[in-house]
Amino acid sequence: MANPMNQFEVKTIGPKIEIGNFDISFSNASLFMVITVATISLLFIFATQKKSLVPSRLQLLAEMAYEFVAKMISETAGSKARPYFPFILTLFLFVLFCNMIGMIPYSFTVTSHIIVTFALAIFIFIGVTIIGFVKHGFGYLKLFVPSGVPVVLLPIIVVIEVISYLSRPVSLSVRLFANMMAGHTMMKVFGGFVISLGLVGGWLPLGFSVALTGLEILVAFLQAYVFAILTCIYLNDALNLHH
Amino acid sequence: MELKELKDKVKEIQSELKEKEIKEKNASPLGIAMKMGTEFVAAVFVASFIGFYVDKWLETTPVFIIIFFIIGSVAGIFNVVRSSKMINKD
Repeated sequence: MANPMNQFEVKTIGPKIEIGNFDISFSNASLFMVITVATISLLFIFATQKKSLVPSRLQLLAEMAYEFVAKMISETAGSKARPYFPFILTLFLFVLFCNMIGMIPYSFTVTSHIIVTFALAIFIFIGVTIIGFVKHGFGYLKLFVPSGVPVVLLPIIVVIEVISYLSRPVSLSVRLFANMMAGHTMMKVFGGFVISLGLVGGWLPLGFSVALTGLEILVAFLQAYVFAILTCIYLNDALNLHH
Repeated sequence: MELKELKDKVKEIQSELKEKEIKEKNASPLGIAMKMGTEFVAAVFVASFIGFYVDKWLETTPVFIIIFFIIGSVAGIFNVVRSSKMINKD
């Protein structure tokens, strides 16, 4: 039986390229990121080509994605977050399509690698922190001082708040990575059961596999949604400072 | 007359949709549990990481890792309480 973790292995495609100590050769992870970006770009280019008043199916899909994200931003971060709409939409679509393309058999799930999700999360974290400092100056540090706390407790509370703030990129990235990796490993394990139990007992795990595939598609969408909505919430903290 | 009827119908459907949306938001207890878990663990992890490096820097192992582990646990509970408040607000 194949090792269920084999599917996560990063393999180099083509020649090995090294700059200094860094290995920047093109891998299957890079290939699937390119595929993701190309799919999204092509989808949106084709969908918005006709711009008819009565939209075609494809145009409807693009409009729905646009409206879904626009609604999410206005509900969680308010009108001040409008300028960041392109970033949130891109982020949501990238994570969603990485997850969904990973659901195709024999493909590679980019978001099941902690370094990919952590890179996204740390980028959001640094970006949001910079936005906060630009908008509020040093007043942004008030975020770490909740109102109505006695002065004696203040030093402890501030340390706790700072750690809670620093833990955001970790929890954001680990959630997406853990969900994707766990789901794909589980599907592989059940797939292995089907093979090893054969024609006699393989039907039960096969049923589970089908159910798990459905669940995984739900998780793929839900995790992309959660990733985007948490970005909105963090952005809201930086834009509308209230504590 | 007809337009008014149509308006009422639209309103009815909209309110139904809203109810459905609220229900769907609360529909995934596993997701909520997962969220709380990662939030707690992340705070402990980050704090212990800081403690470990402070110890390495000041050569006081294991004083700061213990202190920061405790602070991290508190911060983790803070995170969990905060996100559960957010769920209640919805």
